[in-house]
Amino acid sequence: MALNKSEKEAAGQLMDALYLDMFHLIEEHTQSRVNLERANASGAILLARTRFQHGGSNSVSTAQIPTENSAEFNALCRVVDSGDGRGISIERQPVDKSNGYVEPLHWFSVLPPMSLRNAVSKFKDCVELVAESTNLQRQLCDVLDWITKLRQTPLIK
Amino acid sequence: MLKSTIVDTRVRLVPSEKVLTFLDAQKEHFKLVPENVARLMKLKGYKLPVSTKIIKDRDVPSQRPKIDQDQLKKLIADIPDLPEKTADAMKPVSSQETEEDTEQDEPRTEIKDVLYLSDLHWLTDVLHDLRREEHSEVFLHELIETCEMVLPENEIKQRDPELEARCQRLREEQQNREYHKMTKNVDAGLKNFPEDTISYQIKSINKQIIAVAQFIFSVAAGFTFGFFGVNLMVGPLPFGFRILLGVIVALIIALAEMYFLAKKLHEYDEVLDAPKRKPQATTPVKRRQIVKSGGSGDQKLKPHAD
Repeated sequence: MALNKSEKEAAGQLMDALYLDMFHLIEEHTQSRVNLERANASGAILLARTRFQHGGSNSVSTAQIPTENSAEFNALCRVVDSGDGRGISIERQPVDKSNGYVEPLHWFSVLPPMSLRNAVSKFKDCVELVAESTNLQRQLCDVLDWITKLRQTPLIK
Repeated sequence: MLKSTIVDTRVRLVPSEKVLTFLDAQKEHFKLVPENVARLMKLKGYKLPVSTKIIKDRDVPSQRPKIDQDQLKKLIADIPDLPEKTADAMKPVSSQETEEDTEQDEPRTEIKDVLYLSDLHWLTDVLHDLRREEHSEVFLHELIETCEMVLPENEIKQRDPELEARCQRLREEQQNREYHKMTKNVDAGLKNFPEDTISYQIKSINKQIIAVAQFIFSVAAGFTFGFFGVNLMVGPLPFGFRILLGVIVALIIALAEMYFLAKKLHEYDEVLDAPKRKPQATTPVKRRQIVKSGGSGDQKLKPHAD
């Protein structure tokens, strides 16, 4: 009986911890989503400003993005799943033309305007935030899963 | 209707009757009570003993709890995976959330009397102490089972009427423009566009000629300064040296002027090209003038009359 009681105590504490963790994760996830929204919005505004200021013949447009017929290049930024339960992370390569890592900013102009540079850094932040948000969401799903399972144990009634 | 950014990212719990009665029953065991909880209890008509100290919400430690993974694995080891549950893991887990979803359609009034995460942390600690001292056998998860969870939500903002009016105006202008473009060939009154008149073209040519003339003048002035001015200042100089000086000064000025000239001429090109490239972009203004001048008299016509 005493053993059962201590077990029950442990399970209950675990359950409490899981619930608290769930609340924490919800808050953090919301926060990261809000940050993502902000970063994305300011990036879009900066891009719009670039196009506004440098309108006309040399405007930033989709026409400057390489098409299927252009030379191939490697991705500068990859999503890596670490596989050990720590979620995904973003892996960046330094720009190296000889190995096929081209700087995408140079498609638009050799001397990109400041606002375009800032927009790029904002969008880069966005990618990081997406990864962070995904990790949090995965953790949240795990916690929810554990709660479901724990609820079915005979110790918690 | 626009959704604005979430301002308050905190998760909130509406305390149920069970929580409040529990708090009331155990209140003499509390030594410290967070501000929010104290306010909540007062609001619901419960009184705290005088000896309890009220602490600020941010003094409550609130770190993410460590989850005992080994214990967890041991406990859930014999629970089979339920595929249909993992697919939509959100649903069966928290009954609070499903309630939340169903109620979202109704307009929700701002809920003030809620428990925040820091309060829950405090509650966990308190419950832990109570269990150790054997005052009660209640766990947090049992307490909050009956509570409703309020997730952070986007505020719904109405569209600004000023913006709406502006959009409406722009839309009307656009439609007007399209209409006039369509009826341009039919209605003789609308046929004379400012770009078509000779005066307009001469004017724009004049502008360019002036720009070029300015360039020539300043280069000539630069050469004159180098050729005569330096000679007058310094004293008699050999003829070849004077020419060299003049050419150098003129060249410097020409370089500087060339930059501005190129810029200016480029602008003209843009203006001239624009109607061909995107017909709506530049023509509208002029066309609008005509539209208005039709109704409002001769003053508006003057600019293109001469």
